[in-house]
Amino acid sequence: MVGLSAGERQFIYGGIAQDLRSDGRQRLQFRPISVQTGVIPQANGSARATLGATDVIASIKAELGKPAPLRPDKGKVSIFIDCSPTAAPVFEVGAGIDLSSLIVVEGKVCWDLYIDGLVISSDGNLLDALAAAIKAALSNTGIPKVSVSVGASGEDQPEVDVSDEEFMQFDTSGVPVVVTLTKVGRHYIVDATLEEESQMSSAVSVSVNRHGRVCGLIKRGGTGLDPSVVLDMVSVAKHASETLIAVLDSEIASAEAIDDDDAI
Amino acid sequence: MMRELHVSLNQTQKVRLQAAFQHLSDIGSQASSGLLVSVSDTIPVNNEDGILKGHGTSERDGQVVATVCGVVERVNKLVYVRALRARYKPEVGDIIVGRVIEIAPKRWKLEINFSQDAVLMLQSMNLPDGIQRRRTAVDELNMRTIFEENDVICAEVRGFQHDGSLHLQARSQKYGKLERGQLLRVPAYLVKRRKQHFHDLEQYGVDLILGCNGFIWVGEHVVPADNEMVEDQESTLKDKEQSYTPLEIRQNICRIANSVRLISALGFAISVDAIIDTAEASKSSNVDIKDMLGAEFYVQTAEREVQKRISLLKKKRG
Repeated sequence: MVGLSAGERQFIYGGIAQDLRSDGRQRLQFRPISVQTGVIPQANGSARATLGATDVIASIKAELGKPAPLRPDKGKVSIFIDCSPTAAPVFEVGAGIDLSSLIVVEGKVCWDLYIDGLVISSDGNLLDALAAAIKAALSNTGIPKVSVSVGASGEDQPEVDVSDEEFMQFDTSGVPVVVTLTKVGRHYIVDATLEEESQMSSAVSVSVNRHGRVCGLIKRGGTGLDPSVVLDMVSVAKHASETLIAVLDSEIASAEAIDDDDAI
Repeated sequence: MMRELHVSLNQTQKVRLQAAFQHLSDIGSQASSGLLVSVSDTIPVNNEDGILKGHGTSERDGQVVATVCGVVERVNKLVYVRALRARYKPEVGDIIVGRVIEIAPKRWKLEINFSQDAVLMLQSMNLPDGIQRRRTAVDELNMRTIFEENDVICAEVRGFQHDGSLHLQARSQKYGKLERGQLLRVPAYLVKRRKQHFHDLEQYGVDLILGCNGFIWVGEHVVPADNEMVEDQESTLKDKEQSYTPLEIRQNICRIANSVRLISALGFAISVDAIIDTAEASKSSNVDIKDMLGAEFYVQTAEREVQKRISLLKKKRG
């Protein structure tokens, strides 16, 4: 945990009140975000996202499995975040993926997606960085085409043939980004650094999709928030997400371009 | 704890940066003749007799091999390897910036990026009332009023005690608690020992302390307090809390801090001239404070460093 002296705390509070944070950003400005895709060759898709000095890797691994009995027409997604020395943030992104696209044979075979996040270095705002990395990794993911051998019917497990050459891409336009608003003093900021996070009274993480709809909302920190402030924060998060999505899209596009160049 | 800055460059910026670094390494190879070794490299000693193996070396099959990556240094018969990217190695008289992590009987323990915590004894610092006298038990109980946990402190390395612990001293007005600013951490090898480590940048209203241990303090300028003012310190502290650092000075602090971050990310030596140079360059080319950490200014700074070294080289020859 970061320890800050009274003088430094005071400096951070002052900076946020005056809309000029320690690294020169304004309250609602992100640090430069950069994305690299295809960093783990063994995985179906992977991406590394850095947000200032926060550095995370997400990998997507697809496996054939059996759909859950209650939802025979849907695939499964599970997320594991491994951040060895730091506190583990818990969140769920499942809403963004069209689970129906993961089904191979209804009720019999489906794709299980294992999304693994690894925190390499933490300089605050892990949730946003992880969400960005997962979004990039998903867009990097190729699921092998599967041909089901005919004749399989009834109770038997159908035989499937997984193609090595043909892949289908995911539609990641529905995957939301996470914008965390951290309240320090009387104001809230986006993309807090570790030092700023240590001074937070509460933080609201809002996941927003491309259409500006809120997909998820988590509040951390023990201090109470006025409902009107929460509403205010949500609309600010929505606004901030537009720029974040635009930046992330262009970063993913350029990372994919470089990745393709390397492959050739 | 050292956190690296990541910059994402586009294709042209990458090419420019590579060209700049190539230039720098060309210039560097002309200037230094030191032998660079990595772990397990053999150090040629020409079969001399009575070679003394110093730090970072070991003997294997009759040959001297390096156990760390660094530059081979020779002093007469002694051969040692000066490690690059090592932790800070204190020398007597170094000015350092550290953070209090523990208060122990009659001493504060400070984290200074050394392999052990430094010790600042109560008796090796001036009392707030400025009177020279024996420290009493009452003083010991009131230690927290001087420094408490997490405070950032500037002090001087006094030396190693017999038990191997590192002792500091702060017997002057210029040492002591640092407030109203930010602490930056850079690799210690980037800060070279100089005559002056305290810098009062008057044109910015900013105090800059380049700790030899790689801790750098950038804060609002404070006038060294006289001893008589200490009595109403309590009330001034409260007033201070009411007032934040003025915006203009805060902008300067952030600009200087980002200069330091940028220079250390590029791996250039950190000196007050380089910092001011970078800050001024960002100002004159209208780069926003936050954009100083962006890709374009990153490459520009590397290119400017090349120009600077080329002109320096020309001056030396001409």
